[in-house]
Amino acid sequence: MNRFKDSKHLQNIKHLQNIKPRVLLAMALIPLALVIAAVPENTTKPYKLTIEEVVGEITDGAQYFTADQIADLIIQKDPSIQLIDVRPKDEFETYHLPGALNIPISDLLSDEWLETLDQDVRTNVFYSNGTVQSNQAWIICTQRGFKNNYVLQGGLNYWAETILNPQRPDQTAPNDEFAKYDFRKAMNGALGGGTLEAQSTPASSAGTMPEVAKKPKKKKAAGGC
Amino acid sequence: MKQNKYLNPYLGGVLLGLVLLSANFISGRGLGASGAFKSMVVSSVNMVAPAHAGNATFYKENIHEHPEGVMKSWLVFQVLGVVVGAFISGALAGRLKFKVEHSPKITSKRRLIFALAGGVLFGFGSQLGRGCTSGSALSGMAVLSLGGIVTMAAIFGTGYALAYFFRKNWI
Amino acid sequence: MGPLSVNEIISSNTNFFLAFLIGIGFGFVLESSGFSSSRKLAGVFYGYDTVVLKVFFTAAITAMLGLLFFSLFGWVDLSLVYVNPTFWHSAISGGVIMGAGFIIGGFCPGTSVCGAAIGKIDALVFVGGLFLGIFIFGEGYPLWEDFYKAGFAGFPKLNEVLGISQGILALLIVLMALAMFWVGEWAEQKFPREEY
Repeated sequence: MNRFKDSKHLQNIKHLQNIKPRVLLAMALIPLALVIAAVPENTTKPYKLTIEEVVGEITDGAQYFTADQIADLIIQKDPSIQLIDVRPKDEFETYHLPGALNIPISDLLSDEWLETLDQDVRTNVFYSNGTVQSNQAWIICTQRGFKNNYVLQGGLNYWAETILNPQRPDQTAPNDEFAKYDFRKAMNGALGGGTLEAQSTPASSAGTMPEVAKKPKKKKAAGGC
Repeated sequence: MKQNKYLNPYLGGVLLGLVLLSANFISGRGLGASGAFKSMVVSSVNMVAPAHAGNATFYKENIHEHPEGVMKSWLVFQVLGVVVGAFISGALAGRLKFKVEHSPKITSKRRLIFALAGGVLFGFGSQLGRGCTSGSALSGMAVLSLGGIVTMAAIFGTGYALAYFFRKNWI
Repeated sequence: MGPLSVNEIISSNTNFFLAFLIGIGFGFVLESSGFSSSRKLAGVFYGYDTVVLKVFFTAAITAMLGLLFFSLFGWVDLSLVYVNPTFWHSAISGGVIMGAGFIIGGFCPGTSVCGAAIGKIDALVFVGGLFLGIFIFGEGYPLWEDFYKAGFAGFPKLNEVLGISQGILALLIVLMALAMFWVGEWAEQKFPREEY
């Protein structure tokens, strides 16, 4: 009697072992998938920022792209970047960055540009002569809930000084100053050369621009295979 | 010695999924392979013909993206790990052996020519498609990337479409 | 919390070291699952061995569910995890060329490394081909640069395109994968082959 019971028990165990791995996998994954389908998504923070967050981003300088970064992206013809010149039309026609769009700050709210600005495909990078107008554009667009907005750090004045007319550093300067100089020289060449005098706004403000944003925004890890 | 059997594919899949999950958790990115080969090609060209590498856009961009050195990339380290991991697994299972594996219907020479041609195509395609089966298809699918899923469908779809013409090589 | 390296919880050197360990896991699992054998890999296209299908999709759905749960628990910020960009032209044409390379060469880059590591000479030759192919791409880059960068559509996720939540899409993919495994096992019984 006892032996009979044992063998039946063994048979049960054997039966369990005979379940196909595929069925086991299904038994594990389907409930998990059901759970994940049923729970609300843990969405990342909403795109519209609170006033505190806007202030935080601006004081951190997290909304800035440096001139070097932008020069690099232009040369690589990076399709994910969309340069937006917020100066008036005549200034745009005098000089603008390669591939930039001209959306004067007064037109920023017009429906004409809504589709261009409010998308989740390309990154908007605003620039003006200094950074006052471009920062205004950044705040307007960020507050309207548009995604991926950035500002060219130092504006065109700083661009003119660093990329278009790079200054050879002093002999005593640290090595990375020279590396930066060589890089900018190369950038200048790749952008077709040419020089440009700093724009009418006081150049001194451009010269004192911080070299690097204090706390760069966390960029996604590079990927790809 | 009798060859050890392979892991159950579903168990292997779950383990591979956990490896991929840890890559995403630790480094915020998926697994890959062809990117490491790209680094090696770029660094070889840079070594043999630095002037050329500094001129041609493809190499220039890659060198510029890795200011600390082209070989100091995540994928290079990961692929070195793959070599070690595969060797350990092969050694444990008694599968370490120099051989050319091919269908009995074809010669070794034919197999090697086809392997070379396939490699060239895969190398080219992985650059065009921004990633191979692991980097684009597998890792892309795990993060539900549209591009990754499209590439995966294209890889397997083409494989099935052409399977008939190359059946002699495999069956 | 995660991803650890993006949030600067671990240094970049630690990240490289962990990449090496992750690679060991990757290589070990691929080799143990039989991905070092080209005839086993090619089997998926003829139905006699669908190990590729099973491992590939099981891995993808495991990692996918894992990431969604990690995100649910707040362990990982999915907005910081790399999502492959979508470039229509190159995604499709690159995939087609890779598919041809797969059926002709019998490996993909990751598996050829595994094969070469355990002494498969055909895998080693395939790796040589990879170098050559990438070199050709690099040399002719100006010719296809425009095509390579055409059709950019951002970094969309499939669920956004379909307009459903990630969870629902995950459930659909899991069910689809399980159905595919069922077909795969049926095909293996229909076209039986010895183990290579």
